[in-house]
Amino acid sequence: MSSLTLSKRRKRIVWALPFVLLLTVLYGLHYGSVSIPPQEIWTVFFSGGDPLYRQILIDLRLPRVAIGLLVGACLAAAGALLQGVMRNPLADPGVIGVSAGGGVAAILTMVVWPQAGFWLPAAAFAGALASSLAVYFLAWDKGASPVKIVLAGVAVNALLGAVTSGLMVVYSDRVQAVIPWLAGGLEGRSWHHLRFMAPYAVAGLLLSVPAIKPANLLLLGDDSAKLLGQRVELQRMLLILLASLLAGTAVSVAGLVSFVGLVVPHAMRLLVGDDYRYLLPLSVAGGAALVTLADTAARTWFDPIELPVGILLACLGAPFFLILLRRRKRLI
Amino acid sequence: MTAMTAIQTEHLQLDLGHFQLDGVTVSIPEGRITAIVGPNGSGKSTLLKIVSRLAAADGGEIRVGDRLVQTFKPAEFARTLTMLPQSKEMFPDLTVQEIVAYGRSPHKRFWENRMSAEDREAIEWAMEATGTEKHRDRLFHTLSGGEQQKVRIAMALAQKTGILLLDEPTTFLDLSHQLDVMEMLQRLNREWGLTIVMVLHDLQQAAAYCHYLIAMKHGLAVAEGEPRKVITPRFLRYVYDIDAKVRFEEDYPIIIPVQKAKEDSTMVIVTNTSQIKKGHAHKLIERFDKVGKVEFMEGFLGLEVLLTENTKDYEEVSVVTRWRRKEDFQAWTRSSAFKESHRHRDIPDYILSNKITFQEVKIVREPRTAGTEPAETAQSAEQSGQAVQSVQSAQTVETEETAETAETVEKTG
Repeated sequence: MSSLTLSKRRKRIVWALPFVLLLTVLYGLHYGSVSIPPQEIWTVFFSGGDPLYRQILIDLRLPRVAIGLLVGACLAAAGALLQGVMRNPLADPGVIGVSAGGGVAAILTMVVWPQAGFWLPAAAFAGALASSLAVYFLAWDKGASPVKIVLAGVAVNALLGAVTSGLMVVYSDRVQAVIPWLAGGLEGRSWHHLRFMAPYAVAGLLLSVPAIKPANLLLLGDDSAKLLGQRVELQRMLLILLASLLAGTAVSVAGLVSFVGLVVPHAMRLLVGDDYRYLLPLSVAGGAALVTLADTAARTWFDPIELPVGILLACLGAPFFLILLRRRKRLI
Repeated sequence: MTAMTAIQTEHLQLDLGHFQLDGVTVSIPEGRITAIVGPNGSGKSTLLKIVSRLAAADGGEIRVGDRLVQTFKPAEFARTLTMLPQSKEMFPDLTVQEIVAYGRSPHKRFWENRMSAEDREAIEWAMEATGTEKHRDRLFHTLSGGEQQKVRIAMALAQKTGILLLDEPTTFLDLSHQLDVMEMLQRLNREWGLTIVMVLHDLQQAAAYCHYLIAMKHGLAVAEGEPRKVITPRFLRYVYDIDAKVRFEEDYPIIIPVQKAKEDSTMVIVTNTSQIKKGHAHKLIERFDKVGKVEFMEGFLGLEVLLTENTKDYEEVSVVTRWRRKEDFQAWTRSSAFKESHRHRDIPDYILSNKITFQEVKIVREPRTAGTEPAETAQSAEQSGQAVQSVQSAQTVETEETAETAETVEKTG
């Protein structure tokens, strides 16, 4: 691909994404067991409108669409940052132990304190952050190299996975509620969840803006970045912390939604290249659109059953990912 | 060297087990091009990495200008000195101009992206100086290896440091790109006074383009100075373990290796063995001492006196002399010194019998590491089918080689 088409493509995609996002949101608000026409949506937001529509929109669909947007944005941003920081195209939030830590914390909460569904997001968030910090410090040896982080991540994931399975076997009666969460879904998510996650999500996404330049410099490799006067270890640690914050936020509310953090940054990289000035905002927008769209599909396609969006994303994501791998000869 | 010192290292130590720097003390002149040469594993790249703070030394210190390197902040250091690492790392999908613009990072805060007029000027200058401005909008990975190397250099130049280190900048390039890059660096040095230090494998390029040369071996700086004065046969033998002739054609040294396998010659071993009444061996040896002056004879190579105390009723003394040619030995027997010692023709009664043998043997020189067992040498010489008449002669060769090695150490040490 020549540079001319690359810059043209970047421009087009930058222009197209807001429209895609808007359409996704409208689709999410409009579509469901009760379809609400777009003009009614307008009326409900700006001049009252039908009480039933109002209840459905404000109480159910709006928070869910908003959560879908934030979850997708956070996961894709975390994945985009990690792929660069680890210099590993297969890195995703799972690599640094975010998902496994969140999972164990969520199950423990359900087992120890079954009535505390309200606190599940907070517990999962704390677990996700704690396990990613554990991975980082286990990998530390005068600096944490990407390879060591990946290896420490594999070890921690294996251990926490065993704990998760053990708890599920021993307390099978108490962990029913946690199973949809493990599959990753937005069913029943509402204002309470949005209120919990929004501050962290917004903070994480805002902090991604100053992260763009260091992430770009780390792409040059540790040596080149150091020779350009960068404090490589410090920046890598901060970027990993930021990625855990983003991914932990998403995990706390949506559970273990896989593939978004892996596939969306990858697809965007194919379209706009490695430059984080484009890659990061477009991944955020792409992730937001993808999760919202997939969640709308997951709750409507199999009516009356609501499929957890994580399952649908994995089903769509896996083949798509394989196609990407085949098409892309040069990884990162 | 009259020039100011840009970089001074003092007793740099690093022990990585398999490899060590053993107290490297070098000074790199300011505003000059310095080449660091030496065999693989001699510590050249490691030295550059330590100087550029990519690696830490166990001991010793480095000054850039008159400041210790550890007193610089990272960005400040990156505005003073930078390096081009060996080009193994893949750069991301970026255009040439975007990559060169990264060179401005040490001049900005870590989140800043916007380029000032000064930044843009530096980027333009770096691209012009390297001739990469015509590719500014092309993606880095679509360029040829030589062009990519120039873009990397342009990125380093955009840092506007006074000192540029390069680790084998020409290794992966074809000859024309190699010369291209070297000429470009020469121009940068001439026009902008840039201090350039590079690890090079090519001694010819080192001599042709560099003002100063530092040679390393086994983690030590073993020679430094003007290339023309440093690159000598003795230098090649000591640093690279090769025998070669050196001739300068303009600034280029022409290095002609002497092929070792074909360098063989013959020698004559004369063994004079006498059986002596028990207890009288020392008399013969004393007598032989008086003969003297054999070591000043033309073609004399060496001498051993062997005393064997037998369990039988006699002792044996062998005097072994080695000569380049049979004529040389004969010349000795006709010499006045020899005649002097043999003036009394009567054989002393303690000599029971006397036997002289001549052996003409072929000397095959083989490169070998110090400490090789003589037996092994003989064996390998036989196995490789090279002409050695007997084990005895191979041992003689070994003695000969040892003598020569000792001489070399004396000369270079």
